[in-house]
Amino acid sequence: MVGALTTAAAGMEAQQSMMEALSNDIANVSTTGYKSQRVGFRSLLYQAPGRGAGAGAVTGAGAAAQIIGENFEQGSLEQTGRSLDVALTTPGFIRVTTPGGAVALTRDGNLQVGPDGRLRTADGDALDPPVQIPAGVDQEKLSIAPDGTVSAGKRKLGQIALVEVTNPNGLQPDGEGTWLPTAAGGPVRAARGARLQQGTLEASNVDLATVMTQMSEAQQGYEMAGKAITTQDEVLAVANGLIR
Amino acid sequence: MDSGLYIAASGMLAEMVRQEQISNQLANVNTPGFKSEGNVQEGFGELLLHNTVTGAQIGSLSLGAEIAETPLDLTPNPLHETGEPLDFGIEGEGFFGVNTAQGVRYTRNGQFTANAEGVLTDAQGNQVLGAGGGPVRLRADGTVKASDLGVFNVTGVKQAGENLYTGNAAGAGQGRVRSGFLEESGVDAARMMTQMISSFRSLEADQKSIQTIGETLGEAAGTVGSIT
Repeated sequence: MVGALTTAAAGMEAQQSMMEALSNDIANVSTTGYKSQRVGFRSLLYQAPGRGAGAGAVTGAGAAAQIIGENFEQGSLEQTGRSLDVALTTPGFIRVTTPGGAVALTRDGNLQVGPDGRLRTADGDALDPPVQIPAGVDQEKLSIAPDGTVSAGKRKLGQIALVEVTNPNGLQPDGEGTWLPTAAGGPVRAARGARLQQGTLEASNVDLATVMTQMSEAQQGYEMAGKAITTQDEVLAVANGLIR
Repeated sequence: MDSGLYIAASGMLAEMVRQEQISNQLANVNTPGFKSEGNVQEGFGELLLHNTVTGAQIGSLSLGAEIAETPLDLTPNPLHETGEPLDFGIEGEGFFGVNTAQGVRYTRNGQFTANAEGVLTDAQGNQVLGAGGGPVRLRADGTVKASDLGVFNVTGVKQAGENLYTGNAAGAGQGRVRSGFLEESGVDAARMMTQMISSFRSLEADQKSIQTIGETLGEAAGTVGSIT
């Protein structure tokens, strides 16, 4: 019977995980290229309740929540007019190298020219392969083609590598608008159909109205599971009250 | 001893099981595709009482109660839109099939993802069955054609935990798969809260019966039995 307490507590925990994921989404409502998190709920183990129940009865152990990747729906495009802002208008990623030397993927195309003349993301990750902007080239006059070719006038300076993986849900988010390749995500390969648009940025795909609705659902679920805990406590008190 | 004690005790035990089941329902108010579960209470059986002198029938005496079954309410619940291409909901009857280590299991929770080979799986990594029983592959853009997913008619559905159900497949289901949607949990929260309260009051009443019978037995032993 003490099981009923842990069952209700599992429900509270699941709702709490949901609220944490939603809070993270809300915090990133204006982060360029951010993708909202997918939270999966599941029921837990079922077993026979034991005394007080017949052979046909079962009871479950509550619920659990887990993050099952991200919702990679396209975010809306925001016109910035800045020549070094690029947004992906298709599925796919821009390949970058983190300062630690690891390959990472991002959809945040807010590019800057680093002190070494290389194109970097706002977080300081260099494009991979590197694109060197020679000194004296006017940044405002750079053009970036939909396929990622960076050129100044007629001179080609480099190429922004557009890549994809088989299962984006398997990528490991590293919390800074980038994802690290994993075995579950599959190998990183060139994305032929991917397209960039210069002068725009991809907004976060968090929809505040949806998140708020989900937040209130999770809150209600949390309260109800909490109420169940209180009641189960009283049930045990009644059982204990048999002996006075 | 007084059989009333045992009858009331069985009532208390049954209410405690019911409380456990209600807690589980409330824990799953937001679990997609969750099917609400009832709790059917049954008497243990009845004894026919006879007058020991005349042999005339007095009536029947129930021997207590237990939760006999946990029936599933398989009525389809409303779908709500999520926009996520790998979320699926079944409009109408039927189940998705998944291949687990224990064999084929069924679910109405379509929060799916994929593996590195581009094959559709559930959140636990079990392969989702296609319309023909084979795996479902992602298209180049990472989406899946909703009609590629198998919908199975299942009989003898039983809870297996982790959103899964066991049962016997009996052909294709009537339901239509929709991508970007999830089925809401079937738990009626308001009803569950009410049941939780009424079950708690029944439990209290059972406890009072036990205490009263206990006092009666005390009287019998103390007052009736005393010689002075």
